[in-house]
Amino acid sequence: MNGLAAIVRKELADHFSSYRFVILFALIAMVSLITAYMVGLRIRGAEGELKPQFVFLMIFAERGAMFSLVEFVAFFGPLVGLVLGFDAINRERNEGTLSKILAQPIFRDVVINGKFLAGVIMIAVLLTAIVLVITGLGLAVVGVVPGPEELLRVAVYLVVSIVYVALWLGVAILFSILFRSTATSALASLAVWIFFSFFVTIGASILANALLGQATDLRPEQAMRKIAAVRQVALVSPMELYSEATATVIDPMRRSARSFIPGGPLEALSMTRFSGPLAFGQSLLVVMPHIITLLAVTVVCFAISYTVFMRQEIRSL
Amino acid sequence: MKRRIGFGGIAITLLVFLLSAAAPAFAAEKSDAGPKPERLLVLAPEYPGIISTPGKEISMDLNLINRGRTDELVDLKVTQTPPGWKAKIKTYRYTVSGVHVPADDKRSLTFEAVPDKETGPGEYAFQVEAVTRDGRFRLSQKIVITLQGDQEAKEQDTGVKLTTSYPVIRGPSDATFEFSVEVDSRLDKEAVFDLFGQGPKGWEVNFKPSYETKFISSLRLKANQSQSIAVQVKPAPNQPAGEYPIAVRVASGDAKAEANLTVVLTGTYEIEAGTTSGLLSLEARPGKAANVSFYVKNTGSAPNTNIRFMTFKPENWKVEFKPEKIDAIEPGALKQVEMIVTPYEEALVGDYSVAVKIDGEKTSRNLEFRVSVKASAAWAWVGIAIIVAVIAGLLFLFRKLGRR
Repeated sequence: MNGLAAIVRKELADHFSSYRFVILFALIAMVSLITAYMVGLRIRGAEGELKPQFVFLMIFAERGAMFSLVEFVAFFGPLVGLVLGFDAINRERNEGTLSKILAQPIFRDVVINGKFLAGVIMIAVLLTAIVLVITGLGLAVVGVVPGPEELLRVAVYLVVSIVYVALWLGVAILFSILFRSTATSALASLAVWIFFSFFVTIGASILANALLGQATDLRPEQAMRKIAAVRQVALVSPMELYSEATATVIDPMRRSARSFIPGGPLEALSMTRFSGPLAFGQSLLVVMPHIITLLAVTVVCFAISYTVFMRQEIRSL
Repeated sequence: MKRRIGFGGIAITLLVFLLSAAAPAFAAEKSDAGPKPERLLVLAPEYPGIISTPGKEISMDLNLINRGRTDELVDLKVTQTPPGWKAKIKTYRYTVSGVHVPADDKRSLTFEAVPDKETGPGEYAFQVEAVTRDGRFRLSQKIVITLQGDQEAKEQDTGVKLTTSYPVIRGPSDATFEFSVEVDSRLDKEAVFDLFGQGPKGWEVNFKPSYETKFISSLRLKANQSQSIAVQVKPAPNQPAGEYPIAVRVASGDAKAEANLTVVLTGTYEIEAGTTSGLLSLEARPGKAANVSFYVKNTGSAPNTNIRFMTFKPENWKVEFKPEKIDAIEPGALKQVEMIVTPYEEALVGDYSVAVKIDGEKTSRNLEFRVSVKASAAWAWVGIAIIVAVIAGLLFLFRKLGRR
């Protein structure tokens, strides 16, 4: 596995020295920091008004100005994956370096494995850095030391986020294998990202409206059926999967990944009687299907890239 | 006009004449004996013979009737008084020794005889004498008082009496009972009566004025006054059903009286419920039944019958009981009930409150359970299987396509 280590090392060096990565990282880090800082100020301002139970987790889950950190990563985290992967293979190919690399005593699978692994490491470093910085900021602004359960939840959130961004890295690498031109692959991956992140969510409600009628004059059961249908369609989007999973993991008071829950008044009364946070394990079990689906999709995406790359003919131009 | 007046005048004259003619006729009928004698005096006691009980004073009218045409001045005297008695003649205001009786009139005086306390049963003769000032009339009458002594009379003799309209009250064991008792003083002077109450061991017996909350232990009564007081009885805790006597006594010096009251306890209705471990929480999975068993204990002193269970639960949940109801629990007995809770299939993860009302005929008890609905772990296994399959597929690809 000497070859793999060499490839990963070289790839990391490339990434860290590339300007576009630095710019992207700076952008994301800045936005995250501002968001976290504003949330921190708000929590501090609300001192005395409310006594939230998991103040530390609120830094991640609360909305500052426009969106919370969790939502921000869900929207723009994929960009990191795309930027890291959209020209992974075809640039080498276009510059003729791919055949040069393969002329070395390095196997072909090592190249793609190394590139994907390097990308995942980059993502992990980036996200971990952001989470750690925000943790530190939270400690400074809010002055609340997180408990073990809060740290566990943040750790799970971090892992799920890495998987989610890695999924988009895999998609980008797949397009860089499929298309010769870097511009084409960049556009293609952007198109896929926009489609799954934005159009699917909008399209789901359009589809549901078309199938079940407008939302204005609906009985509760019908409305619930429609909401369920919208959700079924929307869950095709990895962003939706990721949002539901992380929102539930980060917020212990959330009992379901769904945002609309049918429930009678007695049920509501019965639940508020002992309204406490969920145990960590329970939260995790609730979103287990989401996490597993994300992981599986990521692995499948990489497997397709791998297969396509291994069967491709490598020729220098 | 003139004529009519004339007729009216004749009619009135006629009427007056008729009336004046009738009046002497009535008077004649009443006196019965034609013209009245010059002087005639009668002394008449109301009851020449009286039967009474010892300790009771006798008082009656003594009538002096003047049937003559002369006003009379009469001296009165009790000439014979048996030992152990005090007798006097009085009006409503004074003790008197003489009286003026106008002609054709009547005077009523009061003859009063007061026995000493020791005066026992027997026959006692009194002599009353009336003498006119000129000594022409000397009238004497005999009054005989017979005293009959028996048990009842003796009790009444003590100068105070206790009566109650409701000597027996029934109710549950944890109730407070209130008897209304009338204290009737027969003393001829004001006196303070001490009040005593004696119940079974551990019982509280208190006296209080009717419609007041303060407790009293003595009572001031004027001569011949009566007052009603309340006797408040609080049974000792955990008394079995049954009859309990309460003795109430009032006393002031020698005057004393007793009354016996009875409280009939019908028992209390109390139940207690809980789990043997004291744990009121259980875990359940959506759509899957979870069991918990609790006990129902009769802590009262009367049997509880027909105990049913009512639940407060979220919609679409099922809660069943085995047995569905308890027919009867004897005091101190314990019954086990199995509760089967089935959360709704789509119930959210979290803690729910399920309250059970154990509803007997006479009493009820609430029990609240915390049902923690846990996420089904089945999904986790399916997920792990999927991940394993995917990774296996990837490894297969590595083996098949790798090292080219």
